[in-house]
Amino acid sequence: MLNVEQLVKQYGDFTAVDDVSFSAKAGSVFGLLGPNGAGKSTAINCISGLLTPTTGRITVSGHDVVKDGKAARQSLGVVPQELALYEDLPAIDNLRYWGKAYGLRGKQLDDRVSDVLDHIGLADRARDLPKEFSGGMKRRLNFGCGVVHQPEVLLLDEPTVGVDPQSRAKLFDLVEAARDAGACVLYTTHYMEEAERLCDSLAIIDHGKIIAEGTVAELKAQLGARDALQLNGAFPADTTREAVMSLAPDIADLEILSQAEDALLLTLSSASQHLPRIFEAISRSGGSVSETSLRSPNLETLFLLLTGKELRE
Amino acid sequence: MGFLLASVRKDLRRWTQDKTALLIWLGIPFLIGGLITSMVDGGGGSPTGVLLIADQDDSLLSGFIVGAYSQDQLGDLLIVEQVSVEEGEARISDGDASGFLTIPEGFQDAFLDETPVTLTLKTNPSQTILPGIIEDVTEILLDAGFYAQRLLGPEIKEIQNSGFDAMPADAFVAGISVDIQHKIDAVMPKLSPLLFDIEIVEPPPKEPTPDIALLFLPGIALMAVLFSANGLAADYWQERDAGTLRRLVSAPGALMQFVVGKALAALVLIAAIVAITLCIGFVYHGVAWTKFFSSLLWVSLGGVGLYAWFAALQMLFPNNHAANLMTTILLFPLMMAGGSFFPLAALPDWIADIGRLSPNGYVVDRLSTELTAPDAWSIDLRSWLTLLAMTVSGLALSTWRLRSGFARK
Repeated sequence: MLNVEQLVKQYGDFTAVDDVSFSAKAGSVFGLLGPNGAGKSTAINCISGLLTPTTGRITVSGHDVVKDGKAARQSLGVVPQELALYEDLPAIDNLRYWGKAYGLRGKQLDDRVSDVLDHIGLADRARDLPKEFSGGMKRRLNFGCGVVHQPEVLLLDEPTVGVDPQSRAKLFDLVEAARDAGACVLYTTHYMEEAERLCDSLAIIDHGKIIAEGTVAELKAQLGARDALQLNGAFPADTTREAVMSLAPDIADLEILSQAEDALLLTLSSASQHLPRIFEAISRSGGSVSETSLRSPNLETLFLLLTGKELRE
Repeated sequence: MGFLLASVRKDLRRWTQDKTALLIWLGIPFLIGGLITSMVDGGGGSPTGVLLIADQDDSLLSGFIVGAYSQDQLGDLLIVEQVSVEEGEARISDGDASGFLTIPEGFQDAFLDETPVTLTLKTNPSQTILPGIIEDVTEILLDAGFYAQRLLGPEIKEIQNSGFDAMPADAFVAGISVDIQHKIDAVMPKLSPLLFDIEIVEPPPKEPTPDIALLFLPGIALMAVLFSANGLAADYWQERDAGTLRRLVSAPGALMQFVVGKALAALVLIAAIVAITLCIGFVYHGVAWTKFFSSLLWVSLGGVGLYAWFAALQMLFPNNHAANLMTTILLFPLMMAGGSFFPLAALPDWIADIGRLSPNGYVVDRLSTELTAPDAWSIDLRSWLTLLAMTVSGLALSTWRLRSGFARK
């Protein structure tokens, strides 16, 4: 349904997307998970035709987005990160306008607009202007404009940024409904809990490169039982590493991911059982711990493990 | 076609919500045009003044003088009021008249006796034109009286002496008439035939000189068009800020219809503004209504061309403020050279030539021709095609700019 092969997008010397490949099937949600600036939006813009890839090939429903762009775009629905609405036109006219842009006419258009209004929960506000809507309602209408023509492939670029919890839950329902209706959904986010809830499979992207890919279960399996232990305090550079690693023979999978004068990031199995020994070793080395954060295995931990930094940095 | 019409409807609905902008686009040209027209046209009338006359003589001759100020074209300029000396002095002191003439008692007798007599004329120093006219006319009247007295003094005196208590005898009238005729016969050989030949040369038939105020109408109409075209062109930036252009680029094959739809919506709105402007101008100047549709079509097409080029220009700038500022700054030299403030015919030739090369000056020039020509549809085909080419090229440039990155940011 959606195939991305060795996609590269460069701006001068800067490579925003570097040899990215993935594919997504109909009736599934594929997630692109990564921090801000990782290259997610650039990849989506290449797929939607907003940007021309430097190299690589993208096909949507079998149509090359560069060579057969019109047919490819006919199968695409885009819900951009920023709102893309006519705030001075009623909600129903926004939906009708974008439906017509994709070739819907007559009864088919009327039926689809009516269905979408019901679906996004704005049927009773259809004649109102979006500028009078709350942020969450605008997001739902923004989503509706992207799906009014029932696209085979739906691109969602961080659709929940700045959305209240209630509207976010409603948007999740809409995404799941689109997937259940047979659409192939590409969903970008930097919220790992969204990716865990929605995505059937996903790729983790950083600095324009895919650093991990698979189902949520497969990716978690890469972590094994390792926890991430974040310590803040004072950590002398020359003695801390030696003191902590002296525990390695007794603590399974112990590894220092990153070290600074005031922060130390470790991965290890069953971290809670080994905390007293770790604190003692640090104290012996002349350091001190003022704050401790322990995370059980999840996608964010995996990202930490792979990149040594927080997903939301 | 469906998306094209949807685009037209969409923009018309959005643009007509901004009533303030519509009022400004119409109001400013009307304000400026109204001021200019009233200055040039002077409200359609000539200046008039009041001449106060205190006729203390109340004689035949003084009556002749009083009547002379009300004759022919002089009567259109001056309103003659007979007043007492006191009232006349008071009103001229208050500046309530252009002049005050006092004809003293005994004026006619003195005139006939060829003894000195003084007419007193006081003029209003706060006025310039009318008091001058009154002075000149008074001097001419006195000169005429001097020569009449020289030629026909005895006869006038005889009439004066005869009294008017009863109807004069036929023999008296006949005698006086014969005497006057003899004197005229004696004088005529000296006056006629003239000692020089007069050759009357018929000037070549000139085209009727158009009403100067009418020449302002095309410029005023184009001023409204320029304001509206520039304002509407800014909508591309508003759409970009709203994110709708990015969504548009993701839709299949909709870009050209989007651009043409915007241009058609602009055409409808600009045509409405032009129609109002021309209607008022046609009524005010009495232009033949057979020229209305051709004028409306010409200016509206020119308006869409200007809109298309303003849009393309605005999309070349890096941000909304710079785009708006630059095109707004561009408006004023365009209006100045293009005949919106002064008719092209009133500008120095070299400025007018440059002005005619500007897009709005081109439209103004041909519209002036259309309005002053004897018949409608006087604008030639080449001009129509040139305007059409300008419009199409502006739209093509706008589409190119949208495709080349403006819509993607």
